Amino acid sequence: MAEIGTDRWVDEVERRRSESGALGRLGQILSRRWLAVFVVVALVYPFVVGGDFGIRVGVNALLLALLALGLNVVVGYAGLLDLGYVAYYGLGAYGYAFLSSDQFGIHAPTLLVVAIVAIVVFLVGALLGQPARRLVGDYLAILTLFFLQAFIELALNLDRLQLPFVDGPLSITGGPNGISGVSPMEILGFRLGQVRDYYFLLLVLVVAVAVGLGNLERSRTGIAWRAIREDTLAAEQMTIPTGALKVIAYATGATIAAVSGTIFAAVQLGVFPQNFTVALLIVVYAALILGGEGSIAGAVLGALIIAMVPELLRTPTGARFLFYGGLFVGSVALLRPWRRLAWVAGGVMAVGVVAKVIVMTLWPAVAAGEGGGLFDRWLIRFDPSAVTLVNVLFVVMIVLVLAAIALRAPWRRDPLIVLAAYTLVLVWENRLVETPSITRQLLFGALLVVLMAVRPYGLLGRRRVEVV
Amino acid sequence: MRRTTGIAFALALALVAAACSGGAETTTTTVGGATTTTQGATTTTQGATTTTQAPVACVGKIGVMAPITGPAASIGEEQRNWAQLAVDMFNEENGTSFEMVEGDTQLDPAQASTVAQQFVADGDIIAVVGPAGSQEVEAVGPIFTDASMPFVSMSATRESLTDGTSPTFFRVVPHDGEQGPTDARFMADELGAKKVMIIDDQTSYSTGLADTTAATLEASGVDVTRESVSQDQTDFSALVSKIGDDVDVVFLPWQIAANAEVFGGQMAEQGKDAVLFGSDGLFSPGDFTIEGAYVSSFAPDIRGIPEDAELVAAYEEQYGDFGTFGPPTYAAMIVALEAAKSICDAGAEPTREAVVEAIGSIDLPSSVLGIPIRFAASGDIEGARFFIFRIEGGEYVLVK
Amino acid sequence: MEFLLQQVVNGLTLGSVYALIALGYSMVYGILKLLNFAHGDVYMVGAFAGYAVLVGLGGPADPRVPLAVLFLLMFLAAMLVSGALGVAIERFAYRPLRNAPRIAPLISAIGVSFFLQNAALLVLGARFRTYGTAKMIDPGTGLHWGPLRISLVRIIVIVSAVLLMVALQVLVKRTRLGKAMRATAIDREAATMMGIDVDTIIIVTFFIGSVLAGAAGVMVGLVFSRVYHFMGFVAGLKGFTAAVIGGIGSIPGAMLGGLFIGFAESFSAAYISSTFQNLIVFLILIAFMLIRPWGLLGTPELVKV
Repeated sequence: MAEIGTDRWVDEVERRRSESGALGRLGQILSRRWLAVFVVVALVYPFVVGGDFGIRVGVNALLLALLALGLNVVVGYAGLLDLGYVAYYGLGAYGYAFLSSDQFGIHAPTLLVVAIVAIVVFLVGALLGQPARRLVGDYLAILTLFFLQAFIELALNLDRLQLPFVDGPLSITGGPNGISGVSPMEILGFRLGQVRDYYFLLLVLVVAVAVGLGNLERSRTGIAWRAIREDTLAAEQMTIPTGALKVIAYATGATIAAVSGTIFAAVQLGVFPQNFTVALLIVVYAALILGGEGSIAGAVLGALIIAMVPELLRTPTGARFLFYGGLFVGSVALLRPWRRLAWVAGGVMAVGVVAKVIVMTLWPAVAAGEGGGLFDRWLIRFDPSAVTLVNVLFVVMIVLVLAAIALRAPWRRDPLIVLAAYTLVLVWENRLVETPSITRQLLFGALLVVLMAVRPYGLLGRRRVEVV
Repeated sequence: MRRTTGIAFALALALVAAACSGGAETTTTTVGGATTTTQGATTTTQGATTTTQAPVACVGKIGVMAPITGPAASIGEEQRNWAQLAVDMFNEENGTSFEMVEGDTQLDPAQASTVAQQFVADGDIIAVVGPAGSQEVEAVGPIFTDASMPFVSMSATRESLTDGTSPTFFRVVPHDGEQGPTDARFMADELGAKKVMIIDDQTSYSTGLADTTAATLEASGVDVTRESVSQDQTDFSALVSKIGDDVDVVFLPWQIAANAEVFGGQMAEQGKDAVLFGSDGLFSPGDFTIEGAYVSSFAPDIRGIPEDAELVAAYEEQYGDFGTFGPPTYAAMIVALEAAKSICDAGAEPTREAVVEAIGSIDLPSSVLGIPIRFAASGDIEGARFFIFRIEGGEYVLVK
Repeated sequence: MEFLLQQVVNGLTLGSVYALIALGYSMVYGILKLLNFAHGDVYMVGAFAGYAVLVGLGGPADPRVPLAVLFLLMFLAAMLVSGALGVAIERFAYRPLRNAPRIAPLISAIGVSFFLQNAALLVLGARFRTYGTAKMIDPGTGLHWGPLRISLVRIIVIVSAVLLMVALQVLVKRTRLGKAMRATAIDREAATMMGIDVDTIIIVTFFIGSVLAGAAGVMVGLVFSRVYHFMGFVAGLKGFTAAVIGGIGSIPGAMLGGLFIGFAESFSAAYISSTFQNLIVFLILIAFMLIRPWGLLGTPELVKV
């Protein structure tokens, strides 16, 4: 973006520098041919990872990618805030379960089931999307949120229906117990019995949807959607049928979600109401926004990150890797010049040693024994009974980190950074590594905040001017 | 900006591949002692190496699946803490070095499947305690069956779980088909109830139990009305006001004791004098203290068992108060540990198949729950019996 | 008849709490057009703060100060802590995103929400805490009109909520600060040109909204007893719903919206079915949104082209 008063060629020096050289050319390839790169990496991934867990994580990631792509159509292209999106995911899953399990005794061929589900959900989406014609922004949001809640309630409670002509209570959705014993998919005679099979099926689907959406984006419909999103009134004046197009966008997103839902039900071999929560909706939105709404590559990238990072954080080793890695990258990126980084690092060392000496002399009961290694000699290891103290330290740490962010002047800021970094590592080693499940959520939340602050348009989003 | 795409992609996948592959590949070699090496991120353990037939160094990991975060964290946290305590105390008493690996499922079957896959991929994990919810057991059943992974649940009570679809599944708590009739008979016979209102909290535990109780009650000629309410409901007043004056007993097969406490309080507020009856999910002397209410439980309060005094003290010192979900988890963990140790003592290496067999034939004369533990062929605990308590003066008094 | 009145009382109590939470949402939305999804967790922290004071002063069984003073201190502590937290959230999570697309602060809010919930889980544990109101005030005390019973605690809650809302209305309508707030809500740029320090106004708005949420937290603790890390999630959703129903951006609307939802919940549970209570409320709300999308007291938005 050229500033007023500067030469455009000069302005673009940075961009040209980044695109030259071997690394730059690699970056160019990666961004222009990102889909090809993605496919290659995704094909290699199962063999690198080996066990079923990695593939399962991959399946989750690809499902999330599909969901994000579908949401991209609704939110990114047409600009509708749909907070009920996950309900269509659920509809697809339950639909598959209805037609491929013992719930009603129907076991239809897979392709037929998926086709039926897709068509039905498209129609349902078209119906429920009618309010989108009139309602704007946040009002549509809350209406769709109601739809989701209504769906969850129905799924949870439609297992004891007393109908007048039917003997005994009728169960449609299986209630809180869901529908289990769903048969796996069978496509063209090939039975998808392993998680690996679904991984490749999903990969094909993601690529197909991405390509399809890419074409759609450049088609008349896509351009019309973008017009509606940027300025609905102006689009109407241009004789674009805004109402119909909004509904089509909504229904298309719903259909994509439903198809993902069918695969989800097949992988899990069951469907349960606990699968579809507002928390899942939040995750899909986070994936889309993080990647950059309106961008297909962004949707996929965001989904990969959001699906895989929390799984990485499940093990203490993975969490440590991410934590120290993040700390390292953060300090290298933010503390320039190198001298400042050295000062801060030295400061942290010094504080550590001093703190340890003070604590060991004054309150030896609080600190537990010495471990081996330089690290343990520098860090205070608290006795397990000092939990309250560590909890207090946790709060103190948060305050310090926030203060370090808030202050500007380097001479005031750096000591705070030193203290904050020290307490961060202290609390991490003493408490956070022992509760990996909670730490995982904490890191995830913090990651969202930081990523949004650093890249408000998402990782791959483009700067837009929003007409509010 | 465009460079970031590529680098971001590459970094992300590299990171994940690096960490995920750790724990997937394991090689085990036995040389008199036990040496397990795993590539990537996990630990290396060394066993004792002797020339003669020495007991195998007992190492291994037990996975724990519980809702550690999320709305049901009050249940999962307790379960996880008791499991950890079990491992610590067992290791201390027996000189073993078993470890616990926690897996957070938030009672979501999809997350449970992922965690199950993670546990299966980790060659060190020889048994699993959990999952906590019946719907989760349905989802992970196929995964664990394929991997011959034994899993012992401490709170999944749906009857159909032990119908043979998951041969490696065990549970230390009796299922709904046993608790329901017991509670129903007590209500009908001892309390002489003619009209009972059953309110479930829309979980699989609750609806299953409510169904079996209602069936037995109706068979005895008692008039039953069913209501249901969500666990995250703030206010029960509207529901309380629906309790008719002719209702004798209100049955709450709930999981959250604090909710029942509020419910009982609101009943008193509105002057309803029906008797409150809670299922084992409400057995929580610290949280559920409505005077004159009844609670059923599959085990007596472990605070009343003299042999458990030390254990209770240890738990309370380290973690604080506890309710009803903790002790069964302790029992389940001990089952897994004892099974593994029995294999080590026999000189063999604890593999998953061996542990399944060992658990199947385990015979613990006593346990933290005050009852012996033996499993039937189906995986259900044998000799289960329900105890009914009455709350008098804030204390749980055994009545039957 | 008494049954009906009983539901009215139930609805009033529940509605007052939802209204207080909704107010925070409405005020922030009015000024920043931002849906503050972390608001529910501010309410949760307030409830815990009140609990901390309660326990610190002896606990429900044996309080060291007279009851009225105890309640006052609990409210004050909760309100101050929540207010401070709200301001901190604004400063660190939302201010950097002042000029970003509207959906970015949403994600940031979600991140904050995750963080707060789990920080509470880490530091305080998952156990439900109860205020044990029954030990402080006998549940039987209160007004009795035949079979109709209104407990004292509910009366306290309803009265405090009304007082707070009245105070807020006075602040917004009668003071210069309130005028500045209204001006900023109408047009931020114009307000800056009029010499209003918009940053300060925003801070004040967040503070007041969070203070109300903190008060709501203590009230919920007093009447409904349970305090736990996840309580903010559901309450936040309901509060947000109430704000939109009442017409988002409108303060009296938020109050009305809260009451509307409180009544809808109580009545549908009592008269129709408790199983499908939530579903019925949602259906009512859906119908409402279709008929009158701008809420009870909102005005149909005129879009300037």
